[in-house]
This record gives sequence, C-alpha cells and structure tokens, in this order.
Amino acid sequence: MGANLDVVAVAPLIAVVGAVVVLLMVDVTWKPGPQVWGVIAGIGLAAATGLAGWQWALHQDAPELYFSGMLVGDGFAAMGALVVYPLTGLGLMAGWRLVTALGRRGAEFVALVLLAGAGAHLMAASANLVMLFIGLEVFSISLYVLAGFTRERADADEAALKYFLLGAFASAVFVYGVALVFAATGSTSIYGDPGGSAAGLPDAILPDAGIQSFLEGTVVFRPGVLLVGAALIIVGLGFKVSAAPFHVWSPDVYQGAPGGITGFLAAAAKVAGFAALARVLTVALGAYVADWAPAIAALSALSVVVGTLLAIVQTDIKRMLAYSSVAHAGFILTALVAGGDGIPDMWFYVITYAAQVLGAFTIAAVISGATRGRSPLQAYDGLGRRSPWLAAVMALMMLSMAGIPLTAGFAGKVAVFRSAVDAGYLWLVIVALLAAVAGLFFYLSVVVRMYMRQPADAPGTMPAAPHAGWGARIALAVTSAATLVFGIAPWPLLDVLRDALPL
Amino acid sequence: MDVPFASGDFPILSTIVLLPAIAGLVMFLVPKRRCDLAIPLAVALSLLPLGAVWYLLVEFEVGTAGFQFEEQVHWYRDWGVSYHLGVDGISLLLVALTVVLFPIALAASTSITDRVRQYAAMMLFLEAGILGVFLSLDLLVFFVFWEAMLVPMYFIIGIWGGGRRVYAAVKFFLFTAFGSALMFAGILALAFIAGDQTGSPTFDFVELLGIDITRTAQFWLFAGFALSFGIKVPLFPFHTWLPDAHVEAPTAGSVILAGVLLKLGTYGLLRFNLTLFPEATVDLVPVMAVLAVIGIVYGAVVAIMQSDIKRLVAYSSVSHLGFVVLGIFALTTQGLQGGVIQMVNHGLTTGALFLLVGMIYERRHTREIADFGGLQRVMPVFAGAFLFIAFASIGLPGLNGFIGEFLVLVGSYLSLPAYAVAAAFGVVLAAVYLLWAYQRMFTGPVDKPENEGLRDIGLRERLVLLPIAALVVFLGVYPKPALERIEPAVQGILDRIEATTDYHVPEFGVEADLAGGEG
Repeated sequence: MGANLDVVAVAPLIAVVGAVVVLLMVDVTWKPGPQVWGVIAGIGLAAATGLAGWQWALHQDAPELYFSGMLVGDGFAAMGALVVYPLTGLGLMAGWRLVTALGRRGAEFVALVLLAGAGAHLMAASANLVMLFIGLEVFSISLYVLAGFTRERADADEAALKYFLLGAFASAVFVYGVALVFAATGSTSIYGDPGGSAAGLPDAILPDAGIQSFLEGTVVFRPGVLLVGAALIIVGLGFKVSAAPFHVWSPDVYQGAPGGITGFLAAAAKVAGFAALARVLTVALGAYVADWAPAIAALSALSVVVGTLLAIVQTDIKRMLAYSSVAHAGFILTALVAGGDGIPDMWFYVITYAAQVLGAFTIAAVISGATRGRSPLQAYDGLGRRSPWLAAVMALMMLSMAGIPLTAGFAGKVAVFRSAVDAGYLWLVIVALLAAVAGLFFYLSVVVRMYMRQPADAPGTMPAAPHAGWGARIALAVTSAATLVFGIAPWPLLDVLRDALPL
Repeated sequence: MDVPFASGDFPILSTIVLLPAIAGLVMFLVPKRRCDLAIPLAVALSLLPLGAVWYLLVEFEVGTAGFQFEEQVHWYRDWGVSYHLGVDGISLLLVALTVVLFPIALAASTSITDRVRQYAAMMLFLEAGILGVFLSLDLLVFFVFWEAMLVPMYFIIGIWGGGRRVYAAVKFFLFTAFGSALMFAGILALAFIAGDQTGSPTFDFVELLGIDITRTAQFWLFAGFALSFGIKVPLFPFHTWLPDAHVEAPTAGSVILAGVLLKLGTYGLLRFNLTLFPEATVDLVPVMAVLAVIGIVYGAVVAIMQSDIKRLVAYSSVSHLGFVVLGIFALTTQGLQGGVIQMVNHGLTTGALFLLVGMIYERRHTREIADFGGLQRVMPVFAGAFLFIAFASIGLPGLNGFIGEFLVLVGSYLSLPAYAVAAAFGVVLAAVYLLWAYQRMFTGPVDKPENEGLRDIGLRERLVLLPIAALVVFLGVYPKPALERIEPAVQGILDRIEATTDYHVPEFGVEADLAGGEG
C-alpha cells in the first residue's frame, strides 16, 4: 500500500509555512513595511484557503490516509482548514493596528499568527495522536508568544506566563493520556497505518489496526487504563477550549493579551480544540461513547453554569467575554454528547461562535486600543450615540451570543441542543437553556450601556468617537454578515456541514 | 416549495408579516434632517398591513374549522423545520387587533423626540414579530418570532421609557426569556417525540397534532409551555414584571404591551396547550382556573389601591387577562369564545385607556390620581372619552366588554361554577377601581391651579381614539361577525379534546360533569 505521500494532504500547510518563511526572509533582507507583510500573509492564506477548498472537493466523499496514517484527508479535516485559514486572515486584519504599532517586531507577530493557523489545521487533520500533539504544540506555543507580545506591559507578561505554564501542564496531561491509550490499545494511530505495523513489530506479525478498529473489534476486559487515558485527553483538550473546570487561565489571558490578538486567540482555540476533541472522542473512542458521553455532559453543564455565573459579575468586557467563552464551550460540548451525530451541529456552533467572538473582541480592541489589555465596561456608556455602527455590530454580537433568534447564535443553539435531546440528554439542554437566560443578563448589560446610558464623566462633552481601521472594519463586516446570514438562513451551511464528517 | 399555496398563488400571510418588517427598514432611509417625517411615514406604512388584513377578513371563509391561506415551504428536512403559516378564526381576530392598534399607537407617539427613526423602526419590527407569532404554524418558526419580538420591545421600553426604564426593560426581557427557555426545551422534546414515532422529526404544528404523547410527557410539556405563556399573560404569580414594564414604557409601548403582547400568552395557551396536550389540560384545569381567579381578584384589588393611574390600568390587565384564562380553561364553547373575544376587547379598551393616560401625562407630567380633580369641567371631551372606555372595560351592556365577560362567566359556570361565582366579583371590583378613579380625577371642583389651564384633546387625539370607540360600539352591538369566525375554530379545539380524552363538554340542560366519563 505504501505510505501515500500525496502532496494534497499538506498543500495548505505548505502554502502557509512557505508564506512564513518568505515573510521572515524578506523581512530580514529588505526590511519592508507592514504592507509587504500583509501582502505575503494574504497570499499565503488565500492560497491555503483555495487548497483547502481543493481538499474539500477531493475528500468529502473519498477520504484517505496519508503519510503512514499520520494525516487524514476527509471532509472534517478539509472543513477545519476552510474555517481556520479565513479566520486567521480575519484575525490578522482585526489586529492590524497592533501589527503596525509593534514596529519591526510586527513581522514576527504576523509569522506567529500564520503558524498558529497552520497548527490549528494540523489538529483537525491529524490521524495519529502523536501528530495531534505536534499540531497542538505548534498552535499553542505560537499563542503563548502572541499573548505576551507587548512585553512592555506587565499584565501581558503575566498573561503569557500563566498561559504558558498552565498550557504546558495541560499538554503534559494530554500526552500522558495518549500514553495510557497506547498502553491499552497498542497504538497511537486513530485509523491504523495501512503500510506500517504495531509497536515496532514487523508487518507480517501484527499490522497496526489503529485505536478505532482495535476498540471496535476487541472487548477490553479491564478498560480502566483506557478510560483514564481518555479522561486525561479530555482534560488536556478541555483546557484548550477553556471548558470548566479547566478554564481558570482564560480570563487573565484574555484580559492581559493585547486587544488586537485576543479575538483570534479565543476563536482559533475553540475551532482547533473542538476539532481535535471531536475526532478523538467520536472516532478513536467512538466505541466507548457510553462511557465518555456522561463525562462530557458533566463538563458541559459545569461550563455553562460556571461561565455564566462568573461572567455576570465582571466589569471588564474582555474578562466577561472570557467567562462567556467558557459558557460557550459548554454549549458546544452539548453537541458532542450525541457522539458522531452531533459533529455537523458542533461545526455550525464553532464556526458561528468564532465569528461572534472575533467580532466582539475586535470592537473591544477598537474601543480600548489594540495594544492595551484592559477594557473596562464603562467605555461602552453611550456608544450608541458616539459610534452607531460599532454599537450596532456589538449589539448584534451580544444578542447572537445570548442566542436571540434571527442571529447565528440562536441557530447554533438549536443545532447543538437538538443533538443533545436526540441523544437523550434533555436535562443537559434544560440546564444549558437556563444558563443561556442567565447569560442574557450580562449580554444585555452591554446593550444597556451602549444605548440607554450616558458617559458618566463629563456629561456635556462626549468622548471622541473611536475610530476603526480598515482591517478591523473588514473583520467586523465579515463577522456581522456571517452572524446575520447564518442566523436568518442557516440551512445552506448546515447542509454543507453534513459532509464535514471524519473518516 | 412542496405544498402549493392553498388559496390562490398570492402569499398573503407572508405579505402581512413582511410589510411591517420592510417598513421598519425603510425608516432607516429617512434622512436625519427630516426625522420629523419618520412617525407620519410609519403611520402611513403601517396602514398597508391593515389593508392586507382587510383583504384577509373579506376573503376568510366563515364556518370552517381548519387553517386557511396556508403557506408551507420546507426549510430543512433533517430537522423537520418548515416555514408554515396559516390563519383560523382565533388568529384572524388577533391579527386584526394587532394591525388596528399599531397605526393608532404610532400616531400617538408624538411625544417621542429622541432617535425618532429608530423608534419607528422598532415599533414596526415589533409589529412584524407579533404578526409572525400569531400566524406561524411551525413551532420553531413560532419560537423565532416569539423571542425575536422581545428585542424591539426591550429597546422601546429601555430607550424611550420613563425613569426606571432600564430596570423595567431588563426585567421584562429576563422574565419572558426565562419562560421561553423551558418552552424551547419542550419544543425540542416534542420534535424528538415525533421523530421517535414517525421516523422524521418535525416542528410542524399540524403534524404534531397527529402524534401520540404519553400522559406523563404531556404533563411536563404542558408545564413548560404554560410557564412561558403564563409569564406572558401574565398569570398570578408571574405578573410582577407587568406593572414595571407597563408603567415605564412610553405610551405607545404600553398600548402595544397591554393591547397585543399579553394576548400572545393566552393565544399560546389556547393554540398549543389545549390541542397538543389535551389530557394534561383536562387534568390541570383546576390549577389554571385557580390561578386565573386569583389573578382576577388580586389584580382588581391591587388596582383599587393604586395611586398612579397608569399602574392602575396595568393591574387591571392582570384582572382582565384572568378572565380570558378562566374562559379558556372552562373548556366550554361559550368559555372559549368568550376568552377569544375578551382578548380583542381588552386589547381595544386597555389600549385606549393607556392612550388616555398618555394624553393627560403629556399635559401634566404626572400620573398621580391625587394631582387631578374636576377635569370634567376643563376637558369635557377627554372626560367623556375616559368614561366611555371605562364603561366598556367594566362590561356595560351594549359595549364590547359585556359580550366577552358574559360569555366567559356563562361558559365557566357550566363547568366550574364555584370559580365563575368568584370571578363575578372581579366584574364588580372593576367597576370600583375604574369609576372611583374617574370620580377622583374628573368630578368635583377643580382644586389644583395647575389643572385649570389644561387643553382638551385636539383633533389628532380624537382621531386616534375614534377607531377604537367605533370598534367598541360595533363589537358591543353586533358581535356576530366576530363570534361566527371564532366558533368553528373553538369547536375544533373542543372536539379534539373530547376525541382524545374522556372529557365531555358540558352544555346547558345537561348536568355539569367535569370528571367526564368516570361518572
């Protein structure tokens, strides 16, 4: 069978990593301005998106394994790439103010954002837990650096260090989980390697069947090791998607990280983390869905409750959005309790949430500055009069996150809750719905500040209207269009996502 | 499009829903310099749906129970969602009430001077949402309209309301959304039950009528739906959002809130609880009836004690809506008919009362009853209009309120005699709070100097009140057109309850028998 080294499997990755190399080379050689970085990154991402589209066309009906079962080309992986690369581009545009403010270091910043995108794609396309770990690290390490990129600010350093230490710990837990799963199944490969062999034995003796078929074909009499391994993997990835109780890093990191990058940080972590989680759980451990689904349900319930309750008391919009992202991790997890059936719904929620959270953080960056960390809620008092457009987009994002109909947030909630009800988790849906109502409280409080309050200091004089750069404007236009369009007519996207299934 | 439009090719119901929504978008095109044009333009545009509904009233076939003018487009088969609209006698009257009240409410919005275009747009979006709720026959689409409608109402209260507007707006939003959450879980569960039985999940109301729901499931689903609708009605003890929202909302907001929004709750009970969960309905009649009667008496007693005329009118809604709920859960033809007609009546009279309160507030900037006195001498036309509407609200024979309350009392006496007797006190109490308020505000000498120079109501204000007064008299003298449109729909609901449970609808001359077949 051979190792199948077809270049299509890595074509988008080559495009992006190639762009990174070119960007750094060009930068050290000619020291051009930010426009050139932007052009190179743009070309790289556009090419990667196009190649991801090619993968989608090729693989959604005919999935294949590549590189000795290390990478997989299927609808799921291609969808991951199709989401990640445009998201990376939007994230860069949203934070372009930050890139220009960084001076010469901006080139490294752009390169790291692209690398994070490549890592996220790799997480969606890995067919082997070791490969998944590599993707996870490429992605995470880029984000650790990005979070602390404005070194002058102590809170950014603190955020980055906290993110790094806790993230490294979570990665270690993940690897331990992988090791235990290997101990129980004799493989780290999800689908097996058509051309390789298990545990170093020659082919002829025992071909590597992979975790999936091993667990489907074998009765594990003492599943303890396997289940502990699965639990540790869930913990490691739960950290990345900031599900409670593994969420404690996210408020500090979101608040401390420079405003221009927080949106990408939050959105990409959800996309990559859930892509990895979905493939590991529903494919590799698909035979044990009855064992892990209750754990996922418990995590989900805890996340929506903890995230919502803590978001209510925040006075900084970035912290509030961080806790709300914990709650949203819980909402997305409700799709996964349905196992493989919930994957299209999970995708829908993840994609639409990524748009919302990127939009919301972009506005936070416009209001409070792209390099700054803190973003107090008072800054939104009377925004409806100062900048009607910014306020309208922010209101849209808040209503969408709150799950009000005719926004993508509502369609997403219908999708994931429907999955959970079908899987028999009505109690979880009720908990999540009640949390969603409680969540209205803080989403509405932003709307109240924007439209129903006046700025407290200096009543007569209005603060100057904040000015959004063209990059942020494009990012806001795209994210709010997505939020509205997928809210009013979610059907086409849902139809497409039905093909975004793992092999 | 799988199902062709039932009557002709013109999607009249979609048109009715879309017209106000488009009109709302048009508001943003009004140039900022000419925002004084926004309100007149909004009034003119809101006459379009009125015209469309007039067509509907004319073309509506009297005497058939099913839905008419149905439109259905399947949206997403995996979920069983379809865009399905239809109208029967019950929703027809409520749609008519909605499109009548909106132009009136908009025309009464002259005191709005801040962000006028946005205000007009929000009102028109609200109208579209309400019409969507009344017309949709797919539970998911229904829920979309139901929740989406909260947003414009929230802004109307929160931006253009009175002193404690933010508190009232958030309270309104959270109360309603809390109820909706459980209803939404119920809707998902219903679709799942349908999928279990037929193999394909569906949110379609008509298809859901055909599925078999166990008694236990019916009970829980009834509870979820009834909580949501009960908060909206509002049924005692879920009424606490209502006084705040009504009092803080601008005049037009109160008119719509009391006139139309509250009816969404009673409409939901009637449309969904009675038909989808008939066994639970029959079992839970005592609970609902007790809450209804408590609401009638409690609302009236609290209204008597109010010193603020707007709060008084707000609490009177609790009392009147209790009548509607009692009529619905009497489960008799008369009770249901009375309940529906009472919804329309209350919309007209309470809407008018809020308009009148708004007019006097614009002049005096106070709503304290004690600040007035002897207004009869200063504002005779206004006083006459107030008295006229008060009589309609109390249920004076010859005016519309009488028909509704009479039918409700007769209908509930058949099946729930004790409750009917208790509810009858509500009628007496209504006379107390309204006439006593009239006496304190309008009769006697003009003892406050501020009240001496008050202008009587002008031409615009008279024109605003005139259509309501005309309808009050029309429905009071000749209710037949309304009743004969409601009757088949109501009969259909009762037939369904009789067919699916052992309940037997009592009639005159037959021993009232709530326990049904057990006897």
